[in-house]
Amino acid sequence: MRKRWLAAAPLIIAALIFATTATGSGKKAAASGGTFRVGTASGIDSLNPFVAFNQDAYSTFEYIYPVLVQYNSHLKFAPFFARSWHSSNHGKTWTFKTQPHAKWSDGKPLTAADAAWTINIAIKYEGGATANLAGLVAHITKASAPNATTLVVHYKQAAGNVLGQFQQFFILPKHIWAQHLGHKGAGLKRFANGAPVVGSGPFNLVKYTPKSIALFQRNSSYWGVKPKVQGFGLQQFSNDDAMVQALKAHQLDALETVPATAIKTLRNSGFAVSDVPGLDQTDFIINSNPKKKKHRELLNLKVKEAFDHAIDRKKIDSVTFLGAAQPANSIIPATTGSWHNPHLKTVSFNLDLANKILDKAGFKRGSGGIRLAHGKKMSYNVITPTDVQSIPRTFQIIQTDFKKIGVQLNQKALDSSTAFSVMSGPNNTYQGFDLAMWDWTALIDPDFMLSVVTCDQYGGWSDSGYCNKKYDRMYSKQQLTPNQTKRRQIVWQMQAYLYKQRPYLWLANDDSVSAVSKSWVGFKNTAQGPFNELNIQGLTQVHQK
Amino acid sequence: MRGIDYVLKRIGFAVVTIFVAVTINFVLFRLAPGSAVTNLSRVPHATQQLRHALEVQFGLDKSKGEQYVIYLKQLLHGNLGVSFEYEQPVSKELRIALINTLPMVTLGTLFSILIGTLTGVIAAWRRGTPVEALTVSSALGFYSMPTQWLGLMLIIIFSGVLPTGGMTNEFLLNPGFWQHLKDLASHIVLPSLTLGLVLYGEYTLIVRSAMLETLGEDYILTARAKGLKPWTIVRKHALRNAMLPITTLVALSLGYIVAGAILIEIVFSWPGIGRAVYEAVLQRDYPMLQGAFLLLTISVVICNLIADLLYFKLDPRITE
Repeated sequence: MRKRWLAAAPLIIAALIFATTATGSGKKAAASGGTFRVGTASGIDSLNPFVAFNQDAYSTFEYIYPVLVQYNSHLKFAPFFARSWHSSNHGKTWTFKTQPHAKWSDGKPLTAADAAWTINIAIKYEGGATANLAGLVAHITKASAPNATTLVVHYKQAAGNVLGQFQQFFILPKHIWAQHLGHKGAGLKRFANGAPVVGSGPFNLVKYTPKSIALFQRNSSYWGVKPKVQGFGLQQFSNDDAMVQALKAHQLDALETVPATAIKTLRNSGFAVSDVPGLDQTDFIINSNPKKKKHRELLNLKVKEAFDHAIDRKKIDSVTFLGAAQPANSIIPATTGSWHNPHLKTVSFNLDLANKILDKAGFKRGSGGIRLAHGKKMSYNVITPTDVQSIPRTFQIIQTDFKKIGVQLNQKALDSSTAFSVMSGPNNTYQGFDLAMWDWTALIDPDFMLSVVTCDQYGGWSDSGYCNKKYDRMYSKQQLTPNQTKRRQIVWQMQAYLYKQRPYLWLANDDSVSAVSKSWVGFKNTAQGPFNELNIQGLTQVHQK
Repeated sequence: MRGIDYVLKRIGFAVVTIFVAVTINFVLFRLAPGSAVTNLSRVPHATQQLRHALEVQFGLDKSKGEQYVIYLKQLLHGNLGVSFEYEQPVSKELRIALINTLPMVTLGTLFSILIGTLTGVIAAWRRGTPVEALTVSSALGFYSMPTQWLGLMLIIIFSGVLPTGGMTNEFLLNPGFWQHLKDLASHIVLPSLTLGLVLYGEYTLIVRSAMLETLGEDYILTARAKGLKPWTIVRKHALRNAMLPITTLVALSLGYIVAGAILIEIVFSWPGIGRAVYEAVLQRDYPMLQGAFLLLTISVVICNLIADLLYFKLDPRITE
C-alpha cells in the first residue's frame, strides 16, 4: 500500500504544481496597481546611449531623459526641455531657453549646463567612444550654457536639420556620466547605466532585465505634465504567437506591434486594434553601381521601369500584409508629412507595358521564355535577409510576375549580416549582387533616408551601390538650407529624381499596428508605434477606464 | 595500474579536445561572412567614424593571427572578453543566461530521463503487448515532433492557464520568496514539458532497445528458470547490463544542458543561454559565441569524461 502511494507521488506533486501555478497567471497581475503592461517583439539592447542601437532603447531614452524638442501630433516641432528657441548669425548660432527649476530623479538640478556638457562630450569623442551620436552633432563646433536656462549651440555652417537632430539627442546628467569618462572617454561606453537610472523624464526606469523587462514608474519630480498611469512595463517576447496569446490571456494590457496575422483575431477577441500607416517600407533593390561589371543591363533605366511595372503592389499588400500596408512610391514615406513629395504616383501594375518596354529595348526572349541581355539570360539571384518576415511571400509574388515578362528570379536568403556583406562585397565595390530585397525605417526628418543613396555611404548605409554626383550635390544643398520651405522643395526634387533613377522599387509602406485591452484608454499609436522616440504622448496619457 | 592509465588517458584526451575546440571556435565564426560592425553600425546617424571606432574597439582592425593570440592570452587569464553587442563582460552575460537556463533544461531533462527510462523498461518487458505498442508509438510521435511546433501547441492549449512567455512575471516588483518561487514554477512548466516530451521519446526508444538486447541473454533465461520475481530480474539483471548505452546518453544530455534549448527558449521567450547564442550568431558577437561554445565544450567533455569513468566502474571488461 505504501509503495503504491510512493508510485503515485510524482503524479500528485505534478498535479499540485499545476494547481498552484495555474492560478498564478494573468488575472492577478492585471490588478498590479495601475501598471500598464506592454508586450514587444523588439527590445532594449542597452541603457547606455553611447552603446544602444535598438529602436526600443531610443524610445526608452525619450521617456527617461530630457530632450530639447519633440514632435507634436502633427509632426511639427514642439517644446520639450527647450521651452523656446531661435537662430542667429545667419543660422550658425542656435539659442535655446530651457525649462527652469527642473531636477534629475536623484534631486540634483537639471540645467542647460547638462545639455551643453552632453553636446560637447559627444563632439569631443566623436571619433571613438561617442561615435554613436556623431551624426547628431554634425557641424556643431561647441555648446555653452551662459546661465542655468540658456543653451547656445554654435555651428560651422548653417545646418538644415538642427531641430530634427536635437529631437533625437538625449541630455545626460553630467554629475553621473562625468565620473565615467575614463581614458579618452572610453569609460562612457563601459558604463552599464543599470536601473534605477538617474533621469528626468516623465518616468523613471526602475527595473531592467535584458531580454525580459523594462519597468518604468511615474517620476514624481518630473517638471512637465505628469503621466496618468502609475507606471508601465515593456516585456520582451521572442515569439509573436506567445505574445499574442499573453495579451488574449490578459497577462498583458497591450502590444507594441501586432503581427498582421493576429489583427483579425485580436479584434474578434474584443481588443482595440489601432492600424495607422507607418514609417517602414519594403523595397526591391537594383544594384545601381555605375561601375558594375556583370549584368549591366540592370543600369538601363528602361529595364528598371519595366521591372517597376511588373510589381503587383496591391497583391503584396493584400496577400503579404493582409491589408495592413499601403503601396509605396518614394524613398520618403507619406507618413513623414510634408516631406513626402505628393506629386509622385504609385507605379501601375501592367505586365503588357513591362513586356513592351523590354521588347522595345531589344531584350528578346530566349529558351524557356527567358529574355537575353548581351547574350546572357536575364536570370538573377535576389538576396533576401531572413529577418524581414514579409519578404519570402512578397518574393514569391514578384517572382511569378517577373516570369511573365521573361525575367527569372532566384531567391538567395541570407542572414542580414551576411546579406549586407555579400551586397557591399570586398572593399565595398558592390560587384557581388544584382538584386535584393530589404526594408527601411524612415525618420520624420528626411535627411537620413536621403543620405543612404549618396556616394559617401559606400560601405556604410548604401545597399544599392547607387552613386550619382548630381544627386549628392542636391543632398548637400538640402543639408545646408535652414529655411525649411526651401529645403522641402529640394527634398521633393531629390525624391522625383530617385523616382526616375530607381535604385529602389518601393513595394509597401507597412502599417504600424498596435493593440490594447479595452479597459485602458489613451494609448496613442503613431507611425513609429505607440512606444516611440517622436514624443512622450503614447504612454503619458494612457490610463484605466 | 591499468586503471590509472585509462583515467590519465581520458583526461589528456579531454584537455586536447578542449584546446582543439577553442581553436575551431575562433576560426569558424570568423569564416562566416559579415561582421559585428556591419550590424551594429546599421543605425540612423551611423558615420564612417562609428564603423572605424567599433572596429578598433573590437580589435577587428588587427590581423586574424593577432586576434587569436590575444584571445588565447585572455583565456589563460580566465577572461572571456567583452560582448560586442552589450559592451559587458562575456562571463557576466553568460553567467546570467546560464543561471536562467539551468532550472528549465535540468527539469525537462530529468523528466525525460525518469519517464523515458521507466517507459523504455516497461515497453521492453511487456514486448508484443498493447502496452509496448502504445509506449513506442507515443515515443516515436514526440521524438519526431518539431520542438517549436510542440511548444506552440502547448502555448495555445494552456493559454490563459499558464504563462506563455518569460521566466517570471517581471511586472511584479520585489516579490516575496514564495511568491517568486510560485511564479517561477508557473513559467517553467511549459518550456520544461516541451523539452521533456521531446527527449522522453529518445530515452524510451534507446532504453527499450538496450533492454530488449539484455532480456534475450541466457542469464535472463536462467533467472526466470530460477523463479526470480520479474521486477528483480529487470532491476538486478537486465537494467544493470543495459546501463552502458543509457549512461552515454544521459552524460551527453547533461553535457548539453548548458547549451540550453535554442528553439524552446525562443518559443517561450526564455532569457537563457540558447537565446543568447542565437542572438550572438545573428550579431556576429564573436566573444559571446566563443565564450558560449567554450562553456558547452567544457561541459560536454567533462560529462563524457564522467561517463568514461563510470564505464570503467560499470564494465569490468575495460580494465581487462
